[in-house]
Amino acid sequence: MGFYWKLAWRNIFRNKRRTIIASVAIGIGLAALIYSDALIIGMKESLIRSTTSSFLGEAQIHREGYRLSRDAELTIRHSSALLEQLAQDKSVARFAPRTQAFGMLTSPANVNSVMLVGVDPERERHLSQFDDALRQGEWLRGEARDLVIGSKLAETLEVGLGDRVVMTVAQVKGGDLSQEMFRVSGVYHFGIRELDTGMALVPLSKAQQMLGIPDGIHEIAVRFHHLHDAENPDLGFWDRYSSNGNEAAGWPELMPEMKNVLELTDFSMYILALILAGVVVFGIINTLFMSMYERMFEFGVLRAVGTRAGGIRKLIVLEALALGLISVGLGALLGLGTTALMAHLGIDFRGIEMTGVHIQELIYPQLRTMQFIKYPAWVILFCSLVGLYPALVAGRMKIATAMRKSM
Amino acid sequence: MNQNHNIVATRNVSKTYHDNGVDVHAVRGIDLTIESGEFTAVVGPSGSGKTTFLNIISGLDTPTEGEVRLDGRDLSSMSGRELSDFRRDHIGFIFQAYNLIPVLRVEENVEYIMMLQGVPREERHRRVKEILDDVGLAGMADRLPTKLSGGQQQRVAIARAMVSRPRLILADEPTANLDSRTGADLLDMMRELNEKTGMTFLFSTHDRMIMKRARRVVTLRDGQIADDERRE
Repeated sequence: MGFYWKLAWRNIFRNKRRTIIASVAIGIGLAALIYSDALIIGMKESLIRSTTSSFLGEAQIHREGYRLSRDAELTIRHSSALLEQLAQDKSVARFAPRTQAFGMLTSPANVNSVMLVGVDPERERHLSQFDDALRQGEWLRGEARDLVIGSKLAETLEVGLGDRVVMTVAQVKGGDLSQEMFRVSGVYHFGIRELDTGMALVPLSKAQQMLGIPDGIHEIAVRFHHLHDAENPDLGFWDRYSSNGNEAAGWPELMPEMKNVLELTDFSMYILALILAGVVVFGIINTLFMSMYERMFEFGVLRAVGTRAGGIRKLIVLEALALGLISVGLGALLGLGTTALMAHLGIDFRGIEMTGVHIQELIYPQLRTMQFIKYPAWVILFCSLVGLYPALVAGRMKIATAMRKSM
Repeated sequence: MNQNHNIVATRNVSKTYHDNGVDVHAVRGIDLTIESGEFTAVVGPSGSGKTTFLNIISGLDTPTEGEVRLDGRDLSSMSGRELSDFRRDHIGFIFQAYNLIPVLRVEENVEYIMMLQGVPREERHRRVKEILDDVGLAGMADRLPTKLSGGQQQRVAIARAMVSRPRLILADEPTANLDSRTGADLLDMMRELNEKTGMTFLFSTHDRMIMKRARRVVTLRDGQIADDERRE
């Protein structure tokens, strides 16, 4: 093998220009594959962050059955103990308790149905992005009559900062109506219709009072230290908080449509990989066949002096492998350079809606070690497999024909 | 060595090509025996069947009819792999255009067949050094073929053909690309090696120099033996 490898390596450099052109073409294909993968990872993370960071959180804890029914009576069991446990949980970076109930928000000009969300202003500020998205006014300061609404809702109700509005909700027990007057203290704008048109945020204690559920919580939104923890079914978090009639769910479960979109993105990556693999395949076949037909006489001579057909096949496959290794070296360097640069600069898709999600941050392609193992391994495997075809053709040649004039 | 000392024995060997629906009889019913140690030239005009005949003898081509025995073995009974191994171990080839492997150094070209044979490295190096001395290329082991003259390249080819100590050396117009002086030197060298080692040399040639130096000249015409002259 050592001798054939040496011979193959030297043969590859007999026509330096052709080898360089083929290697660069294959290398660009590999670099594109690495970059695309990094971009898709970055894009997925950005989509997940955009989806989870505005309001949803990466995971949520509810009372069993609440997510399906939205029944305000289904408050989280042992919520105080749970909040203490979350504060000690090493996998949890942030958490925020909420109450949620459907209600009517009335202004002098109009009335609109909304989701009344009671939040702990300090915890919510660190978990979601309402305070970052404020266009007017201030985030909740703990004043009982402060209310923050979305820009579209403010337009509908024709209210601005300091204007009075009346919130009407049904109490959890008995269903009696509860009304409170609030002042608009802040107006936010996410560019996400559901958030901008249908939510009104008030301090948690006030919402609990209106709903008649002192200490009652419907939802705890959670952010982990690591974004991908929410996709890890083996994380101990799920077992810890899915007990005593409560249930914990990550964003893939909370937003299955987003999960499907991301799976579709993975599928697109495979299609792209196939197309690039096609480029690689034709690059190698072309190079190897040109090189092989130029050297048919030489192969004839090698066969004549006693090289077995298998030896010729081995030589050609090793040449393909050598070409693959050179291409992988070039492609990995090119891929690393391009991706690292873009990962540093970021790509600005802000303001664009992608798969129903409003992109709110720069997209940074994400370099992963696997990209420099998996894709180069593919290229090398492809090279070797593709090399089999010319190798078989050369192995089957008739020696006298190959040598034409021959002996 | 075979008991009857015949290295090559052909019986009624014919080869017919089909070219655009026309049968071309390249070789017709050749019976020829070459004994061990001969220095024989197969001569004849272009198209007389020399090359086809040598191809058949060496197992590079198959006859349409007849039998070829090399060192007592019937070539038609061998598989492709057996034929490759048989050529490797029993036949040395010298080509008109030298046909060295351009990316291998002189030493690597010469040891190539021994590597196929699995000869140990030290033994290979010893034999390469010895044969390069014999063909007058001492000190050129590290050169690439492209850095050598035509005569030097043909010497390397001769060294490559002989280093594995085959029973038979087949040489296809070995002097055709060389000037007459270089060609004559090489022929004298091959004749010396023939006498020294007892290897059998079989040439296909137009070259009068080879004809003059050969101990036996077989003349082909229209694919048949027209003359078989032995000289002492």
